[in-house]
Amino acid sequence: MIFNSLTYLLLLVIVVTLYWVLPYRARLLLIFSASLTFYGFWRIEFLPVLLLSTFVDWWVTQKMRGQSERNRFYLLLISLLVNLGLLFYFKYLIFFADNAIGFANLLGAEIDPIALKIILPLGISFYTFQTISYTVDVYRRFIEPERDFVLYACYVTFFPQLVAGPVLRAAEVIHQFANRAAFSSEHLFVGLRRILYGLFLKVVLADNIAPLVDAGYSMPLENMSALDVWTLAFLFGFQIYFDFSAYSHIAIGSARLMGINFPENFNFPYLASSPKDFWRRWHISLSSWIRDYLYLPLAGVKVHDRSTGGLSAATAERKHTKSLFLSWAIMGLWHGANWTFLLWGIFHAVVISVYRFTEPRTRSLGKQIRWWGGVAITLPVMMLAWVPFRAESVVYAFVMWEKIFEPSAYLWLGMRENTYLITALILFGVFFTYAVKEKIMPKVQTFRFGIALANISAVAVMTVLVIIFLRPINQFIYFQF
Amino acid sequence: MLYEILPIEHDAKHFEDLALGKENTNMLEKVSNLRVHCGDLSDVVECLQNYEKTGSGLPVLLWLGNSQVHVINQFKPGEETAAPELHRKFQVTNEYFLTLSQPNASLQEHYLLFAYLLNRLPIKELVLPVVFDDMREDGIRTSLIDAFKDQKTADSLRSSEIGRILIANHGDQDAAGNDMTALQDTFQEHSEMVLNSILEEAWSVWAARPTLRGKLLRSLYLLRNWAFGINASSIRKMIPGRYAKNRDALLAILNLAAQRQVKVLVYIPPLRNDVKVPYDIHEYASFKSEMTSIARENHAFFVDLENVVPAKFWGPKDSTTIGGGQELDFMHFQAGGHRLLARALYNELRAQEPSQ
Repeated sequence: MIFNSLTYLLLLVIVVTLYWVLPYRARLLLIFSASLTFYGFWRIEFLPVLLLSTFVDWWVTQKMRGQSERNRFYLLLISLLVNLGLLFYFKYLIFFADNAIGFANLLGAEIDPIALKIILPLGISFYTFQTISYTVDVYRRFIEPERDFVLYACYVTFFPQLVAGPVLRAAEVIHQFANRAAFSSEHLFVGLRRILYGLFLKVVLADNIAPLVDAGYSMPLENMSALDVWTLAFLFGFQIYFDFSAYSHIAIGSARLMGINFPENFNFPYLASSPKDFWRRWHISLSSWIRDYLYLPLAGVKVHDRSTGGLSAATAERKHTKSLFLSWAIMGLWHGANWTFLLWGIFHAVVISVYRFTEPRTRSLGKQIRWWGGVAITLPVMMLAWVPFRAESVVYAFVMWEKIFEPSAYLWLGMRENTYLITALILFGVFFTYAVKEKIMPKVQTFRFGIALANISAVAVMTVLVIIFLRPINQFIYFQF
Repeated sequence: MLYEILPIEHDAKHFEDLALGKENTNMLEKVSNLRVHCGDLSDVVECLQNYEKTGSGLPVLLWLGNSQVHVINQFKPGEETAAPELHRKFQVTNEYFLTLSQPNASLQEHYLLFAYLLNRLPIKELVLPVVFDDMREDGIRTSLIDAFKDQKTADSLRSSEIGRILIANHGDQDAAGNDMTALQDTFQEHSEMVLNSILEEAWSVWAARPTLRGKLLRSLYLLRNWAFGINASSIRKMIPGRYAKNRDALLAILNLAAQRQVKVLVYIPPLRNDVKVPYDIHEYASFKSEMTSIARENHAFFVDLENVVPAKFWGPKDSTTIGGGQELDFMHFQAGGHRLLARALYNELRAQEPSQ
């Protein structure tokens, strides 16, 4: 089921209403069954995969109780084998088979391509990461294994976050399912407002940018100018930001309607003043997951129950460069079984490495200069990183990147004028929204009537626009991951 | 230009009428009783049925065009476009003249429709305008997308590079006006349709949402034009990428026609010549020169009808900016112009007959 649909809104109304009137056990069963319904509305045949992943980790963690360290480790391996095995089969088998055959043919073998038809189960990358983190946390003795299967299953399958995150930690939410918050109108107001923001970002902005991006990326490369590359990089950067942050808003809002708090997943990422800062603001739950369950262990760093800081900051030693590149390569491939995503991950690893090298040399500069200079450099670099993420091939991405270094490619425009105009307006809008929310609003808190009027007007306009544009015309981009 | 800011709605006919304004009349509806002039795949079936009923077996002259073909400026009751007039003229010689036109139609769309209709009609000759404005268009509107699902059409398209690009970019898209694209083949598609129909019956605003979307985007279009001082006389620059794709589509049409032994008449459409044209004059000259060369090198007939319609048959159109007065219409002319265009095309097509 997708969020930008009437079916989801109806399901949400029913579930939220029942949630606040049912007793404990019935409430958990409601969430579990609603989550399976939510998932089954897409393809019912993949429910067993979801349930298998859920059950295996619950069973493994139950077995860990009172076991020796060695046995606990073996149990952890079982969990990893099942979860990563599912992920490999559904997501990477075709990719690896195609590339292995291609490589063998390059060496002279004559192997016909294998025609595999494997459909990627929705959200598998998200829920397998979530179940892995649970088992690892139990293994590390950060949390106690949850005896109640239904309560644990609610954590894994909870419908607002099931198919595209945020990637939750068990410690963040299981206790919230176990102990229902007291009903408060604030839950409803905040939840509905977040859902409205999310729908606005998705159906009004992201879905209307999508055709422009699609048209741009289908353009023959020889007709693409350097300004087109910049424009498309920015435009896709905005599309994916609106699309994915919209999902997070709706997920957070839907959970909040039931009094459950999710961690924030985005915080004005394009206002980041460094790559480190960017990854503290973009898809926060995934970047912190990669840091805690991949990068730090690979770097040989002792992990405590919750590390802090971005991927680049956690360990700044040069000897950890290998783990940085490996983590980013996996981060890239997590997004999709394609060389383009690997290139995207490596690009970020290079950018972070360059940042680590240059950052100490800028410390003597003033705070304002560092911030403004940081934003001015980070924003275009992060936008250029989206090029391989959206491009159809690695070659296409490299040719696009090459264009920005060709002075003669700046002398003409290859797209309709509106594309440039809309990109510029959105860029202005992002900075303007940030300025209003973070700089102006805190200073005008005393003008309560004015603020209330502005809020009501904004909500009214967004509501009208969402009603006009609400259609399940496009999936969320992160569904494919 | 309007369709650029209406990426979602650009197939809906009432948005075209919004763009045309009250000075221009869409004649597709007016000739509907004849069904010798259709728009997109939603009504082409009727045109094909009419052919089977009234002209089965007759050789077909197919005219593909843009809104210039189906719009009359300053319409008066009783007037008609060139399409029905040409149909009647060719009836005399037992030939069937069929017209298909869509607003801002690109050569890529003409290529798709030509490939589609070649497998359904005994096409003898294709009449094809090459419009400088429409070289700025790209892609295929959703109301034509279903043509890709026809296997023979897809096979024809695969014989050219531009055809393969079109299939890659649009071949798996959904049909016209489907708001449920993201739910295709899922259980939710059914529930969503039921809920939508319930809401549409219970709440008129919900049913009016397509119109509201169009009006809103139209307002944004007017706002943009007002802010940047854009009007109908503003210079439209060539867009290299789109131009190249449309040129490739023209070449593919000519190749396909040659393979299937269909004659082609390529023509430069009428342009008002009493005022400065809204093009970069060098780009326009280069365009005409290239179109002439392509037509001749590919054994198509070519005629320049740029000056066929005199100034008196061109009129104004509604403003395309906020608070602006009327503007010059560079695309649509009055019924007198349609008569002259019909005569010019008829004479040109007759002149190609070996016996004449």
